[in-house]
Amino acid sequence: MNEHESVRAMLALAGAGLLGPDELRRVEEHARTCALCRADLETWAAYAQGLRKLPQPSAPAGLTERTRAKIIQEQAVAAGRRRHAWLLGALAAFGWTGSVAFWVVARALTGGVFTVMGVNLVNGLAWSLGSTVLAWTTAAAAAMMLGRGREMRRFL
Amino acid sequence: MILAAAMAPEGFTGDREIARLRKGDPDAITELIGRYQHRLYRFLVRMVGDPATAEDLYQQTWIRLMEKIGSYDARRSFEAWLFAIARNLAIDHLRRRRGISLDEPDVSGRVPVERLEASGQDVLTQLLDFERAALLAAAIGELPVIHREVLTLRFEEDMKLEQIAEVAGVPLSTVKSRLHRALEGLRARIEASGKGIL
Repeated sequence: MNEHESVRAMLALAGAGLLGPDELRRVEEHARTCALCRADLETWAAYAQGLRKLPQPSAPAGLTERTRAKIIQEQAVAAGRRRHAWLLGALAAFGWTGSVAFWVVARALTGGVFTVMGVNLVNGLAWSLGSTVLAWTTAAAAAMMLGRGREMRRFL
Repeated sequence: MILAAAMAPEGFTGDREIARLRKGDPDAITELIGRYQHRLYRFLVRMVGDPATAEDLYQQTWIRLMEKIGSYDARRSFEAWLFAIARNLAIDHLRRRRGISLDEPDVSGRVPVERLEASGQDVLTQLLDFERAALLAAAIGELPVIHREVLTLRFEEDMKLEQIAEVAGVPLSTVKSRLHRALEGLRARIEASGKGIL
């Protein structure tokens, strides 16, 4: 690629003011002696100038207020979601603590043996299985209740 | 005057407002929204070409900013971070809406000329400016999204190449080559229309 071709490839960026000082000097030096590149450089400069003066789309009236209201609405929804997560977490922790405490009491009262249909209910494994089933059932019921409450509020 | 008020002053970092936002001060977001209202909205209109979608994305940008404010790195430019959020939402929207490649010409994203306001000294200059600007705006609307993006960030938002690279999440060399291709594409479209801008 000769000097003319290599400068031509830089003219768009030169006209737009996007070249470094060394490259710009090279383009300007060449343009001084090359009418074609000089004319092209002027055209690119006109494009850059036109791009800086583009007509501006005006922001619609009340955009800031509507945006602020939307943010507040979204924050309220997020806060509700966080509250529900905390509530479910607290209920789960309470459920497990209660189950363990009740297991200790049940073992103390029954002497570690309380058999129903051949299964020792105060045995560690049976008790934790029973507690798990109970916890999941309760969690599902709570989730359904919360979901219904949300739907009801949306409907109202 | 409105535009001048909306322009972020030189050296504005948003540090004070961000600190207030982190403390949960709701007035801080109002100040930031007001400050960037016109610039961010304009950028989104150029990206998606539709004022209603731009407004929706504008609101989503601020909601996303509020969600992410805790993870904002104060060493980064706030402006670049804000525009990057808006840019990513716009790109996601365009991908979902049309499923098009972002570097292909856009035949539907034309900027509506009737919404544009011209500026100039006398009536003739104003008319010529308006015609030239409308021509350029229409040609920009036909460019691929990644080219519209760099043109508007550079020439309308007056961002440095480094800032554009941060917004678009690409290396500096890519920004330069995209700008080059965007300008070439713009000129080719205008010349193909049989009009010039000189």
